[in-house]
Amino acid sequence: MKDVFILSIETSCDETSIAIVKNGCEVVALTILTQMDTHSDFGGVVPEIASRMHTENITMVLEETLKKAKMEVSDCDAIAVTYTPGLLGSLLVGVEFAKVLSYVYDLPLIKVNHLIGHIYANKIDNKLHFPTLALVISGGHTELIKMTDDYEFELLGETLDDAIGEAFDKVARVIGLKYPGGPNIEKLAKEGENSYKLPKMANDDTYNFSYSGLKSSVINLVNNERQRGNEINKADLACSFQTAAVEELTRKLEKALKETDIKNVIIAGGVSANKYIRSEVQKLCDKYEAELSLPEFIYCTDNAAMIGAAAYPLYLKKEFADLDLNAKSTSNIC
Amino acid sequence: MHLFIDTHLFDIIVILYKDGKIIRKEIVKDEKEHSRILMPLIKKVLKDETPESIIVVNGPGSFTGVRLGVTVAKTLAYTMNIPIRTITSLECLALSTTENEKIVGFNDKNGYYIGIFDNDYNLIGDFEYLTNNEYEKYTKNYNVITDCDLDFENIIEFALTKEDINPHKVNPIYVKKIDVEK
Repeated sequence: MKDVFILSIETSCDETSIAIVKNGCEVVALTILTQMDTHSDFGGVVPEIASRMHTENITMVLEETLKKAKMEVSDCDAIAVTYTPGLLGSLLVGVEFAKVLSYVYDLPLIKVNHLIGHIYANKIDNKLHFPTLALVISGGHTELIKMTDDYEFELLGETLDDAIGEAFDKVARVIGLKYPGGPNIEKLAKEGENSYKLPKMANDDTYNFSYSGLKSSVINLVNNERQRGNEINKADLACSFQTAAVEELTRKLEKALKETDIKNVIIAGGVSANKYIRSEVQKLCDKYEAELSLPEFIYCTDNAAMIGAAAYPLYLKKEFADLDLNAKSTSNIC
Repeated sequence: MHLFIDTHLFDIIVILYKDGKIIRKEIVKDEKEHSRILMPLIKKVLKDETPESIIVVNGPGSFTGVRLGVTVAKTLAYTMNIPIRTITSLECLALSTTENEKIVGFNDKNGYYIGIFDNDYNLIGDFEYLTNNEYEKYTKNYNVITDCDLDFENIIEFALTKEDINPHKVNPIYVKKIDVEK
């Protein structure tokens, strides 16, 4: 079969990224322009500024990607773009940009769900074996999904309140860590011990997660200590919080491993770059003799290569979008 | 053959212009979902022909509206390898009035974008954004022209006299400050 090259675009948050992906698994070229430094001055992503920077940079990011790949857009077989979920203004820049490429080069347009992109990041230089359990963890999502085939998803459980990444960011802010909060908690936690007693989350019989209780208890603890004039050991608190947050993940994953007898596990989403989570899930998989698939770090955070990987099964099924494609800020995988 | 794109406010305007004449013109009024409309409209107007240049209204106006028009225009220019020129929404108004005192403006929900131009359509000072209250005071001293039919021939001819810009460098102008800038 002829090789398929997909030019893919990702602008759902604060990274302008374009890639060319061969046959859904081989990255020919990838450019990621992050705006993190700009937003860190504001303590978080400012949506309007993110959108502005996508428009400023997107044609240059394309030029750089084509140069790296030594290819032209016309050498590609399709244009893929993240259309949901994310910041609406940011998504729109990528979607319009993709539509122009699709129109000018007369190539099929493929719309990709950003979260499914994170799952398919596991397909890059790797194989997805079905059935698999997928733990999707990011700033906006915490979901446990059963996948029986390409694009066959069954939601087992999801967060009832905050997403895990959101809880990391909020706790980071309360203990005075800079943006991005999640990675800074992880860094600080390494220097601390699990010495603060934080409440265990409600042990219900579902696969659902909950993070607001844990988050609130950390906030209350910090406020109480401050009122009493006590110093908080930030490293210990970061470690205690991270341990409790990850226990919530592994507890539900363990339940699924036990009850479904599925032997493949993948972790996807921005929070999957967290090394402590990776090692804890690995331990669990070893216990159940399940195989854990992890994307390379570069494919964990937002990037266009995963969008190209996720677009490939849709290309084969000829599931193409039209020029009236619109962006959508929220949506789920299933 | 030149392609003109204006998405700076509620209307989407796409025009094909050749030898001093408008060949095709599509206007979609009061559109809320610019993204659904713009590319199909451009396709309809271009009919798969490649224009020799692009003119885009690069603001000020609705942030998202301007950004869509500019993103599409600069990407078209870059991929088709054709020149691109920008014209501001307030220049468009100034080019559409015969008044000598060219103080032009238009409003969004919270206020007015204002520009003052000389008879050669050079901007005097900077664009300004006035809140509705500020605007009310302003109009006691100045006569702001807000309602004129856009003279597209004049606008496009004027834009064509400008230098073209590297597509990478084509960006919206926003004027109005956002919260984090205040």
